[in-house]
Amino acid sequence: MRQLRILSGVVVETMQGLKQGGWSNWLVVSILVIALTIFGGVLQLTMTLKSVVAAWGSQLVISAYLKDGDDPRSVARTVSQLPDVKLVEIVPRDVAWQEMQASFKVASLANPLPNTLHIQLTRPEAVEKTALCLRAMDGIEHVRYPLAVARNLNRFRQFLEATGVAVTAALTAATLMVIGNTIQLVIQSRMREIEIQSLMGVSPWYIKGPLVLQGAAYGLVSALVATSLIWAGRVYVEACVAGQLVGFLPLAGQQFGYGMLPTFLVLLVLGVSVGAGGSAWTSGRYVKI
Amino acid sequence: MIRLQNVYKDYGGRPALVNVNLHIGVGEFAFLVGPSGAGKSTVMRLLYREEKPTSGQVFIGGIDITRLDRAQVPLLRRRLGIVFQDYKLLPKQTVFDNVAYILRALGVERMEVSRRVRSALTVVNLEDKEDAYPDELSGGEQQRVGIARAIVNGPPVLLADEPTGNLDPVASLEIVQLLERISQRGTTVFISTHDQFIVNSLRKRVVSLKAGQVAGDVDSGVYEMETIG
Ligand SMILES: Nc1ncnc2c1ncn2[C@@H]1O[C@H](COP(=O)(O)OP(=O)(O)O)[C@@H](O)[C@H]1O
Ligand SMILES: [Mg+2]
Repeated sequence: MRQLRILSGVVVETMQGLKQGGWSNWLVVSILVIALTIFGGVLQLTMTLKSVVAAWGSQLVISAYLKDGDDPRSVARTVSQLPDVKLVEIVPRDVAWQEMQASFKVASLANPLPNTLHIQLTRPEAVEKTALCLRAMDGIEHVRYPLAVARNLNRFRQFLEATGVAVTAALTAATLMVIGNTIQLVIQSRMREIEIQSLMGVSPWYIKGPLVLQGAAYGLVSALVATSLIWAGRVYVEACVAGQLVGFLPLAGQQFGYGMLPTFLVLLVLGVSVGAGGSAWTSGRYVKI
Repeated sequence: MIRLQNVYKDYGGRPALVNVNLHIGVGEFAFLVGPSGAGKSTVMRLLYREEKPTSGQVFIGGIDITRLDRAQVPLLRRRLGIVFQDYKLLPKQTVFDNVAYILRALGVERMEVSRRVRSALTVVNLEDKEDAYPDELSGGEQQRVGIARAIVNGPPVLLADEPTGNLDPVASLEIVQLLERISQRGTTVFISTHDQFIVNSLRKRVVSLKAGQVAGDVDSGVYEMETIG
């Protein structure tokens, strides 16, 4: 009970600190939101790409888009003669178009889709070689297979991770500076108060606690805002991507998201540590008691 | 209760206290007098551990406070009531909140806080000012708030550094009489001052400092300013 009362006292002091903070509260929160949103966005993207790469990299399917006018059956027959081919499925352009129109509201255009073969292989090592063979074949316009996409995605992911980490680190440093400045201003405006508290025998942590909590509050608010932004962004991106991937790869419909809850928790931990850590460091430096 | 033993204090090589020895018993009431610059505030600051002596020992209640580490200093200060010349009240808090501050910081229960604050305000005769802010009070009233705050946690020792330094004679006399009443309840009271009038009107123990040295220590004494020239 006693501890609880002391804690509530600290919280009240924190509120007063935030009130005193005024516009600088918003400065801190904005920059922290930017840092966390970028970090969280990169986290989402890389985690998504990782799972896409993992799923697609192990796929034994090749999609072959046929030239107009060629008979899909005869091409399919030739393809099925190739070694390591297990199964060839023909997706006529009319069927694909109907499916697409069924799942999406597409204007009634002339059917832009080609006839397609979905080719199942027996073993992963054969994917590349078979893709090369198919590409050389007469009736085939274009070949796509998940492994190739996965490889490109992976390269992109690595780049994204590196830049994401660098940008986050720079923004975190900037955030720490802004938080430090804000808390320093609070300390300066409270110098006399802090001196009086200390002379009365108030514990150092009761004096510094509100400052640290103020930093943590910045982290909490920023994590909430950043998570909402990422969530909104994700909903938007998913809507776009879903439309574009249809008919492109057989796995398009699958969900690869990194959960929003873990994202929020990661941002919360990061935001609160940056906020509380920054102000703990500053109050350690400027509150000499 | 208070003991200084062979205390030396230098500020950057300049001596402020030179071999000060002093003992004040439990429940005693004593003045520390001397001209400005004699070292009175330095003695007080040593007692509440705002400063450490260059050498020598300082005891409060038998504990050598020069050896306390940083974390123990708040514990020492909670056992001391400290009254300052400039009152050191929190300007944005009411009289009640000023007096209640330390109790709340220690997690004392609400009803108990109210009870103790009201009782302290009664001692200093400010029951009807608990909702006022410091800048709405006269100097004498502000100092009484300072005293209420100092005694609210029931300290065995009360230190006052020039408590009447900013007050007119009437308010000054009120303040020292109040401090004397507090000492009659068993609290050890130690007051630094260069105010002849209040010292002489009480006839209590007077320790005098001159250039950092104890120059006199008499019971029921008076304080005579040196006449210069
Ligand atoms: N923080 C300080 N730094 C340097 N010198 C100080 C400091 N505090 C006091 N002094 C010096 O120590 C001597 C005693 O000062 P002080 O204890 O304040 O005397 P009093 O309170 O009797 O006027 C004076 O010469 C003063 O200038
Ligand atoms: Mg002084």
